[in-house]
Amino acid sequence: MALGTTPNFEDVAIGSDIPGLEKGPLTTAHLMRWSAAMENWHKIHYDKPFAMEHDKLPGLLINGSLKQQFVMQMLADWAGPNGWAWKASFQFRAMNIVEEAVRVWGRVIAKRDGPGYGLIDIELGILNDAGKESTPGTATVALPYKNGQPVPYPFVPPAA
Amino acid sequence: MSALSDSLKKYIGMKSTTEMACDAVERGAVRRYAQAIMYEDPIFDKPCANNARYGGPVAPPLYPTHLARRAFGVPDPIQANARNSDFDGIVAATSSGGLPALEPLNGYALLNGGSEIEFFRYARHGETVSQTSSYADISEKETSKGPIVLVVTETEFRNGDGELLIRTRRTQIRRK
Repeated sequence: MALGTTPNFEDVAIGSDIPGLEKGPLTTAHLMRWSAAMENWHKIHYDKPFAMEHDKLPGLLINGSLKQQFVMQMLADWAGPNGWAWKASFQFRAMNIVEEAVRVWGRVIAKRDGPGYGLIDIELGILNDAGKESTPGTATVALPYKNGQPVPYPFVPPAA
Repeated sequence: MSALSDSLKKYIGMKSTTEMACDAVERGAVRRYAQAIMYEDPIFDKPCANNARYGGPVAPPLYPTHLARRAFGVPDPIQANARNSDFDGIVAATSSGGLPALEPLNGYALLNGGSEIEFFRYARHGETVSQTSSYADISEKETSKGPIVLVVTETEFRNGDGELLIRTRRTQIRRK
């Protein structure tokens, strides 16, 4: 996307890390701002008695929907203006509790050719301050070939 | 199969009607959204070199997935539940994708279990967005903390011209 430049498919090495992101510490104000922006009022993100006493949670939770935004930001920034973050999957395996900072990471695990562009498979996740993984996932980013055309927009996926 | 699984079986494959978001992609709403996710890329703001290929300013990638808002005139679930101590704050428009509520799971807590998302195109400022959902799967599972129900919902988001923007497959974890 816009903030950076797009790497060439050929220049990306399997096993290399893509630039990560750090967000937080994420306070109740961050979570309230996000709830307001998407108009979703799930109390486990801002009503501590409800979260802990009614839903038996260890505290206010950082929204999974907010964490996946950070993953998409990392992928789209890396894809740059001539690439495309095609798909991503995440599992919300562990909770992130309010006041935690999170670090989003991604590593290239495979490369393959697509129709006129290359495809990069990535494993990714979100670590908290203590280094605990909460959101393991995978993604596929389309990148142009060196001296090739930008990845088509709207994106045309490879035939299944 | 448990009585609960049996009562949920009829929902699998159920498809929503196609619902148009009550608001188009608005610049102010995009600003608040981009600031809330701390992603202030200029392509979300005004026309610039980097959004020229998208046809102008766009919304962040996941924005269309959060456009199912309560339209004017639709009853207010927050006020309706003001004296309901079990109300979790989830409003139907944001949780069900236009699908009927899973009645057998009334009173069950909801956690986001994960998502698979495919992106094809950004939503541009001014565009309308529709969504169509279906219950792809509903299954019960035993865990160390007791039984849970996994609800998998597939949704397609399209712009006003019918172009596919995003396809999602979300898993919600429901437990007592």
